[in-house]
Amino acid sequence: MSTEFTEWLRGRSDDQLRALVAVRPELITPVPAHLEGLATRAGSPSAIGRVLDRLDLFTLSVIETLAVLPSPVAHRTLRAQMARALRGAADPAFQGALRETVERLRTLALVYGPDKALAPAPGVREVLETPAGLGPPAVEVFRHHPAERLAELAEDIGGDGDGTKETLARLLGDPEIVGRLIQDVSPQARSALNELAWGPASGRVPNARREVRTADAQSPIEELLSRALLGATGEETVVLPREVALALRGGRIHRDLSPVPPALDGAVRDQGLADRTAAGQAFAFTRAVEELCERWSVDPPGVLRSGGLAVRDLKRTSVLLDLPEWVTGLVAEVAHAAGLVAASGAVDGEWLPTPAYDGWRVKGTEDRWTVLATTWLTMDRVPGVIGERDERDRLLNALHPDLRRSAAAEVRTATLGMLAVAGPGLAPTLESVRERLAWEQPRRRGGHRDQLVEFTLREAEQIGVTGLGAVVDHGRALLPGCDRTMSAGRLLAPLLPEPLDHVLLQADLTAVAPGPLTSDLRRWLALAAEVESTGGATVYRFDERSIRRALDAGQSADEMLAMLERHSTTPVPQPLGYLVTDVARRHGRMRVGTASAYVRCDDPSLLDEVMADRRALPLRLRRLAPTVIASKTSRPTLVDSLRAMGYAPASESLDGDVIITQLDVRRTDGQPLVRSSATFNGLEADVVAAAVRAVRAGDAAHRARRAPVEAPAGQVPRSPATATIVALREAIRQGSQVWIGYLDSQGNATSRILEPARMEGGYLTAYDETRAAVHRFALHRITGIADIN
Amino acid sequence: MTDGPLIVQSDKTLLLEVGHDRADECRKAIAPFAELERAPEHVHTYRITPLALWNARAAGHDAEQVVDALIGYSRYPVPHALLVDIAETMARYGRLRLEKDPVHGLVLTSTDRAVLEEVLRSKKIQPLLGERLGADAVAVHPSERGNIKQYLLKLGWPAEDLAGYVDGEHHPITLTEDGWELRTYQREAAEAFWHGGSGVVVLPCGAGKTIVGAAAMAHAKATTLILVTNTVSAHQWKQELIKRTSLTEEEIGEYTGTKKEIRPVTIATYQVMTTRRQGVYRHLELFDARDWGLVVYDEVHLLPAPIFRMTADLQARRRVGLTATLVREDGREGDVFSLIGPKRYDAPWKEMENQGWIAPADCVEVRVTLTDDERLAYAMAESEERYRFCATTPSKSRVTEALVRRHLDEQVLVIGQYIDQLDELGEHLNAPVIKGETKVKERERLFQAFRDKEIQVLVVSKVANFSIDLPEAAVAIQVSGTFGSRQEEAQRLGRVLRPKADGGGARFYSVVSRDTVDQDFAAHRQRFLAEQGYAYQIIDADDVLAGE
Repeated sequence: MSTEFTEWLRGRSDDQLRALVAVRPELITPVPAHLEGLATRAGSPSAIGRVLDRLDLFTLSVIETLAVLPSPVAHRTLRAQMARALRGAADPAFQGALRETVERLRTLALVYGPDKALAPAPGVREVLETPAGLGPPAVEVFRHHPAERLAELAEDIGGDGDGTKETLARLLGDPEIVGRLIQDVSPQARSALNELAWGPASGRVPNARREVRTADAQSPIEELLSRALLGATGEETVVLPREVALALRGGRIHRDLSPVPPALDGAVRDQGLADRTAAGQAFAFTRAVEELCERWSVDPPGVLRSGGLAVRDLKRTSVLLDLPEWVTGLVAEVAHAAGLVAASGAVDGEWLPTPAYDGWRVKGTEDRWTVLATTWLTMDRVPGVIGERDERDRLLNALHPDLRRSAAAEVRTATLGMLAVAGPGLAPTLESVRERLAWEQPRRRGGHRDQLVEFTLREAEQIGVTGLGAVVDHGRALLPGCDRTMSAGRLLAPLLPEPLDHVLLQADLTAVAPGPLTSDLRRWLALAAEVESTGGATVYRFDERSIRRALDAGQSADEMLAMLERHSTTPVPQPLGYLVTDVARRHGRMRVGTASAYVRCDDPSLLDEVMADRRALPLRLRRLAPTVIASKTSRPTLVDSLRAMGYAPASESLDGDVIITQLDVRRTDGQPLVRSSATFNGLEADVVAAAVRAVRAGDAAHRARRAPVEAPAGQVPRSPATATIVALREAIRQGSQVWIGYLDSQGNATSRILEPARMEGGYLTAYDETRAAVHRFALHRITGIADIN
Repeated sequence: MTDGPLIVQSDKTLLLEVGHDRADECRKAIAPFAELERAPEHVHTYRITPLALWNARAAGHDAEQVVDALIGYSRYPVPHALLVDIAETMARYGRLRLEKDPVHGLVLTSTDRAVLEEVLRSKKIQPLLGERLGADAVAVHPSERGNIKQYLLKLGWPAEDLAGYVDGEHHPITLTEDGWELRTYQREAAEAFWHGGSGVVVLPCGAGKTIVGAAAMAHAKATTLILVTNTVSAHQWKQELIKRTSLTEEEIGEYTGTKKEIRPVTIATYQVMTTRRQGVYRHLELFDARDWGLVVYDEVHLLPAPIFRMTADLQARRRVGLTATLVREDGREGDVFSLIGPKRYDAPWKEMENQGWIAPADCVEVRVTLTDDERLAYAMAESEERYRFCATTPSKSRVTEALVRRHLDEQVLVIGQYIDQLDELGEHLNAPVIKGETKVKERERLFQAFRDKEIQVLVVSKVANFSIDLPEAAVAIQVSGTFGSRQEEAQRLGRVLRPKADGGGARFYSVVSRDTVDQDFAAHRQRFLAEQGYAYQIIDADDVLAGE
């Protein structure tokens, strides 16, 4: 580890160190013992990689430039180099931006040294393998070439052939020589060079290790190889030496740089309208989650053996919810990640709502939404890839364990964060968002991140974090680093429609709820009527079956009519009242008794057999008619017992359908397959301060240890025990050092210089300067004490 | 949150709260692009369908207007996806156009090359096309003008037909407004059609569609072919035209089973046009008999399939369709759109009623409880016989008779499906029966007698469903129907909805056997009527009988 860097770090003020660990918290987890440890950690490839990943394109270019130029670099040189790479002419803002950027890099401890001698921190060059798309320097490229070959090459490019790679590198480092060489080669060879000039710097050719002389060069590649404009680094790879690339780039390291990010462009929406749209969507999404949980409570889909939800079940659910499949996938994933839905068990499990769902359900819409939206923002699962195939060509099902992507949460936060700081109502296009992200996080690029951005935008719209493509206030409040004076829920609440407690009843037997209903009324209507259409309003239709369902659930006709009257603003239409009473009239006619279960069979002799069976005694059977037996046991028990007796009974409902009417609403304790990757919100200030304090203290101790103090020569004059104690106490009070004589455990007389800290129980705890460590000393062995001077 | 009268649902239905202050203006704003689906008392349901959107495009509305109307009147935020979908659907209309080219005749042109390429790849389209005329145009065989429009609609790229029309043979026709005048909506409907070139006018039964037809003819001033459902209807058209226009009896020909006259204005029935002998349509020459300047289709929703095929060849002539409903039981709304033309005008029943053009009606369902014997017999009946059985039970007849006695001094029409039942009822009520075998002359005599109030009760079978004019039927009693057909219901209701001389209301009874399939069918009808906004109530037959 470069001591220069350590010393520079040591020279930073406490404030600056605090700023460093605040932005690079990985450096103090755990807190290193001393600044040398901190410096080592700051120089580790993983730590540098992490911090480089967070740099924007301009900042990254600065550090790349520093990494390419031989260190140290004067600020003036850096500025001149960067100015060449600018897209337009260097504007005055550039200087300020550059100065700020360098300061930021210092804060991050990626760059150190004063302005006249800037250098990248140790380790940065290694991590930046191909800074600005440049290949390795010639020294590296030609490292493994034999001396004779190096001599040949040097000779061919007009130098003296002493056969060292350094000589070759020196020759290539001269732009004039390289310029001449480039002029010499054929146009095809030149265009090949231009291809590689701006990176990637390596290419593939068969038989790369050809040893050709300029005179014998047959092909463009051979022309280049013979002139050391390309070097072979493998059997089939050639690379453009950095010196050559720089010459080709005309002395520039980057091109088209801009110190400011590209602006987002897109349509500008009316913010009020966007807010309302997003609120509507938030409401719809919350409702969809609830609907899904309710549906799955009574009719849960199975868990696939590979985990996840079958395609068929997803389709079915999306029909039930009246949503496109990808939205259904999103709803299921968010419900799952929020812990509202989970698998009930490993074997033959089902997807069921969890007990947490019951808690969530009773909250206000805005709070429910906040839970869902926060979950979505931080979850590492990617619902967007449902239905795609993984690298082994297996279908990715909804709720499948492999739906996790570590970058998901970070991309969502980054994307929305960008939208959040855009102008009010701006709905940026996908393209411009991608471009901006590429500027802000140039090291984090790739096809799957682009895909994640696309998913983020469409899912945000669906969940109601954005409206018409623009971030809205309640969405912004979820993002880290944004104004949190108002919680997302409180911002959303006024935009949501008030729950209504009335419906409009019509003669065509429909009830229209012109907005969201109170949960009691909604449940009742869901029981007594079929939902016909949903959206801002809900249309319910009463029919014979739905009325019967309500009657089955224990409602009486009078109760139902009273309920209708209470919640209707207009008189109950005559045909609706008639329908209720008519169905109730017939429903009553069908009801025959209170037996908890019965056996029905067209063949009386079979029932005779059952009645005669001894094993049937505990079932307490009673023959109601030749073809009917009633039982006091419950239906499942009866069915099980009859099966045990060798019969094959089927369950039937009150209506005679072979269905179970008493559908069990079930819950699972299963845990979600999700880890919420907490977005980094910065460390608490006091944690940072404490860490810096600890490192400083450790460092002071560490440095002291490095230079143990020689004890003065000669014996310590003996002193009486009382005087010793008085002197030690005085030294503790003043924090001063003393010189003592001490008999160690072997009985040897030693001489120490101590910084006493505490004295109790016959022992002295003190920092021993001569041993550079804290020790405990037995008071009775201290032979004498003297002032250090 | 705005307080609009409109709620947009996720299934593309629009709910309009009728009681809202802005309901009226909202209705006007959304009517061009949404079909009124249901109009019960409080909340009307409109549906946005591709056809409705294309109708709106054809009428000159653009997506922006549609989106503005939705956003402006919606109470809750409109889902963005829906708006995008609307804009995309509307943008599909008119990408392709049929135009007349002075050199190549009929040409299909496109403003979007990709769309043209897409439809050209269709196997069904290829044979209809001629030579490719550059990148954006292709010739179309003139005879395939109709077919290509049908197929393009199926592909989701409806073509705008700008190829124009032949003028046809000139013939002077004017309206003679003596003692009557064209109602505002009739004039608007005729003008909307004329400006659109071809298309469909949707007006409720009893709103005077014949007069709209006459007005359309007065615009065209050309020889006209009128296609109607049956002979009685043909006679009525003739009488109306003589009464309302400058046409004389000599200028109007009837082309029916009995008469084969071809005159400047010719009225033909669907039936005669679709008669085949040895697999050949015998009367197709009628279409070519004259250089027709206008073709009128009465009751477009009943247009039989062969007429569609013939119409496909008539695309160069102006066409006007008249109907009470665009809903077809066979789902061929798309063919009406592509072959007759887009909707040019419509007005909901309820609005007409409010303006006093049609009589308000009370709909009453009378539930008859079957006797035990009847119930047992019903339970044992073969499934295909069940409906017939429960629709014709003696209990029903008794109730029907009681209902007729209730309305002794009013004009009562008893409508049914089964001849035996009708004969029996006629006998009991001492009323004449009109059925399929009744001679046309006799039918007209009876209708006239009914109009003149010489007869107070008339029993009719389903032959009376269409296009007969019974102005003073204040009460209609339906004893059996065709399995709950919505369209039949609209017709039957039409019988009693004509404005009464005394301005009184009409009453529509359905007699239904309780707890049978009859009741299930009745439920369909009830839904239809309630959705049309008619007051509907259900009473027990015992109350009727007890009231005597």
